[in-house]
Amino acid sequence: MTTHTTASTPEARELVLTMDGQEVSFSVGETLYQVSQRLRTEVPTLCYDDRLDPFGGCRLCVVEVEGQRNPVASCTTQALPGMVVHTRSERVERHRKTLLELVVSENPEARIDPLRGHASQELHHLRERYGVTGERMQGRKSGHSRPDDDNPFIARDYDQCISCYRCVRVCAEREGDYAISVKGRGFATQITVEFDGHLRDSACTFCGQCVQTCPTGALADRKALRAEARPEPIVATRSICPYCGVGCSVDLLSKGDRLVGIRPAMDGPANLGALCVKGQFAFDWVQSEDRLTTPLVRGKDGQLHPATWDEALDRAAAGFAKARDEHGQHGTYAIASGRAPHESAYAIQKFIRVSYGSNYIDNCSRA
Amino acid sequence: MKHSNDELIARWRGEPAPLLPLLHALHDRDGYLSDDALRAVAKGLRLPIADLFGTVTFYHHFSRQPPGKAAPRVCDGPVCKHRGTQALLQGLPGATVMPCAGRCDGPVPVLQGDLVRVGSTPDGLAEEPSPLPPPYPGDRGECVFAEIRTHDRATLAGYRSTGGYRALTAARDTMTPNEIIDVITASGLAGRGGAGFPTGRKWKAVAQAPGGPKTIVCNADEGEPGCFKDRALMDHDPHALVEGMAIAALATGATRGFIYLRYEYPQTLVILEDAIAEAQRVGLLDGFDLYVRRGAGAYVCGEETSLLNSLEGKHPFPRNRPPYPVTHGFEDRPTVVNNVETLCAVAPILRHGAAWYRDLGLGDHAGTKVISLSGDVQRPGNYEVPIGLPLRTLLHEWAGGPAPGRTIQAVTMAGLSGGLLGPDALQGTPAVTLDEPCLRARGAFLGAGGIMVFDDTRHMVELAHEAMEFFAHESCGKCFPCRIGTQRLTERLSGGGPVTLDAWTAEVTDIGDAMKATSACGLGTAAPLITDSLLRYFPDQVARHLAGRKA
Ligand SMILES: Cc1cc2nc3c(=O)[nH]c(=O)nc-3n(C[C@H](O)[C@H](O)[C@H](O)COP(=O)(O)O)c2cc1C
Ligand code: SF4
Ligand code: SF4
Ligand code: SF4
Ligand code: FES
Repeated sequence: MTTHTTASTPEARELVLTMDGQEVSFSVGETLYQVSQRLRTEVPTLCYDDRLDPFGGCRLCVVEVEGQRNPVASCTTQALPGMVVHTRSERVERHRKTLLELVVSENPEARIDPLRGHASQELHHLRERYGVTGERMQGRKSGHSRPDDDNPFIARDYDQCISCYRCVRVCAEREGDYAISVKGRGFATQITVEFDGHLRDSACTFCGQCVQTCPTGALADRKALRAEARPEPIVATRSICPYCGVGCSVDLLSKGDRLVGIRPAMDGPANLGALCVKGQFAFDWVQSEDRLTTPLVRGKDGQLHPATWDEALDRAAAGFAKARDEHGQHGTYAIASGRAPHESAYAIQKFIRVSYGSNYIDNCSRA
Repeated sequence: MKHSNDELIARWRGEPAPLLPLLHALHDRDGYLSDDALRAVAKGLRLPIADLFGTVTFYHHFSRQPPGKAAPRVCDGPVCKHRGTQALLQGLPGATVMPCAGRCDGPVPVLQGDLVRVGSTPDGLAEEPSPLPPPYPGDRGECVFAEIRTHDRATLAGYRSTGGYRALTAARDTMTPNEIIDVITASGLAGRGGAGFPTGRKWKAVAQAPGGPKTIVCNADEGEPGCFKDRALMDHDPHALVEGMAIAALATGATRGFIYLRYEYPQTLVILEDAIAEAQRVGLLDGFDLYVRRGAGAYVCGEETSLLNSLEGKHPFPRNRPPYPVTHGFEDRPTVVNNVETLCAVAPILRHGAAWYRDLGLGDHAGTKVISLSGDVQRPGNYEVPIGLPLRTLLHEWAGGPAPGRTIQAVTMAGLSGGLLGPDALQGTPAVTLDEPCLRARGAFLGAGGIMVFDDTRHMVELAHEAMEFFAHESCGKCFPCRIGTQRLTERLSGGGPVTLDAWTAEVTDIGDAMKATSACGLGTAAPLITDSLLRYFPDQVARHLAGRKA
């Protein structure tokens, strides 16, 4: 938090405004919303994602600036020296509640499981905070779900959509895929792909970013939702995606002993909430039924047979030793699999470097 | 011969603001925009296909399947609705409605292909030129209409015979850009498109803004229901607009210009293109490239930043401001956006002087404003009034008042955007005058100057419902208060929402307050003036509407 009452240099003294009675310094280009975040003033938002260009759609972030007749959207308003800003006046709080009543009224009541996506609880939380019951402002619902889109990854449950366009913007601004867009206008707007088709026939790469930024769960992680009925709590474990050299930070979601989903870390230094289809959705092999549960050793008959760990390790050690004796230090080259755990990848490079004294080690994910 | 996709793409790809004209070329060719055509455009202009698809669906005059453009579209604006829309819809096979098409001063317009015909029965449809303004009933003097009734005014020769292009020549030969701007500033000319921003200040900001090329955009979208003044000006005095734009270019250093013309004015398109070609032929526009671009059916594209996005081929949501178009306009370069009427006033002001123009207004008010007057008055039409004229003078003396035996119950202001004025305002003292300070004090505004008159036979809740339905239909969907608010207000004006008057009023007021305070553009902030004024002037009719629902 950077709040000053006295500023040292003339330039710094100029870049000061007053927010909720506190003097705050700011840097050129900062928006009022960014300033409010530093003060931990909880200005509500729904169309905001700090990775995207401010859009100014939901209008929940409106604040009063003295001298201006109407409140301004803090997410799109640049901080200016001398501004006197009120972020939670009676008037803006009242309008925020009305806006929330309106936006709640356009969706059918539904429980939104947090497995749907990273931001899926945003509307729900604001609804609780402002005590919006859904009794007022009733009327027609907006948005049409697309249950016919049977791709395995993303549910398009637009009945819950509130037209914040975060999905469209993240796809364009962050992913660069421009796979989805806004059809129609007004209350009839609908998120769509070209010619109202299915995601798999569009430019979508199934990176999942739209799912993770959706504040209502209208876009939902279909794979994670398979575990919706499991009673255990969701536990998130921070890790790094093993698939390639970018090193995207992920949160591995588990319920009990089951990996149920993967979520990009919004604060991941390499990815800021982005993933690719593999990092986002390709994890079923981790606990696949098809995985080996005992070591296998090839017999004289050329077939693989179950064996004990001792047998298997002895055979492997003998093979490595033979290779070294016959072909020398550089006769062996190891490639770790992108699907192996990081610990295994570490172990294999250690093994090659220490026991062969060689750097003939690589990883299939070296990007 | 039909041109291929590739030929049309090649024709437009290198032009400025190519998307709309290219889409129109394909739409004209096929009558609708096929998947194939859109895929070709996306490839040819290097646009993401999903974006292009979404953007095309924004415009209600672009069809995606036959009969598309060939099907008749009948105006169901608030005035036409009572003059034959239903009969036309029933009598014209395949006909659908369109919002106010800007011909409220005559019979109902029907748009089919590139033809607008007017009439009240399917057999009685005929192509008619825009009516000229009625003979001037005032004594103060006109500005933009002063010469519009002279013979042949729309041709270069006719325009020149009454002094046309003398202001441009004089400005070019004898004035510095600053001098031009000073005259416009001193005249008190302010935007006639709705917001009333001082024109001289706008031009100065563009003249001083760094970077270029600079652009003059004429806002000829005229989508506000009850407004038809820009059509009259362009149809009968197109060179006045061209001259005004060329002078604006001189004053600001702009080298290119666009006229963004609403789709519903196909005949005007031809008139403008002819006028530009004539002016170009004799070198009047040297150094200033002027293009006409056609909208495709979206009221919000009259909002200047939405218009700029539309011109640029983007999704026509309004932009966040600041920055304003004067620094970040067309293609993010300094841009003047001015209304047709504003630009048409420029040449007369330069010729007659700033003081002459100021003095056309009454009292402290500078200049004139064209009012498009329609509905239940005896002589509807475009009237150029001195700003500050009493509304009653316009309604009763200039336009002949209501039909015999009827009384005026309400008038709309700013088309629909300014809401209603009811009996209290119409009859009370001090009299309502046609100027912003007076009207704003009454919760209305003059805006683009459309006034629709409704006599005592009209149901005001029904009218308010039609108005709100228009705003809901035209809401772009960018911001929550307007996207959902216009919908909920429409429902509440047509039988939805709470049944008790208190609960109904509380919801309608809360929605309206949030819309006025938080909407992202003028559509959403203006729409609730309809419900505000309905509650203010016609609480009995609201109560009856709710009581009728319970019964
Ligand atoms: C919803 C909406 C629709 C508008 N439509 C028009 C229009 O059709 N024509 C116009 O000149 N201005 C229109 N305006 C006003 C423009 O945004 C802008 O103020 C004007 O074109 C500036 O020109 P002026 O200063 O000459 O009036 C509209 C504004 C809003 C909010
Ligand atoms: S999954 Fe990725 S590419 Fe596909 S629509 Fe969502 S953001 Fe765009
Ligand atoms: S799908 Fe989600 S992110 Fe996209 S517009 Fe709807 S609510 Fe917003
Ligand atoms: S006020 Fe209405 S028209 Fe304007 S930006 Fe908001 S939704 Fe769009
Ligand atoms: S966060 Fe500012 S308008 Fe949505």
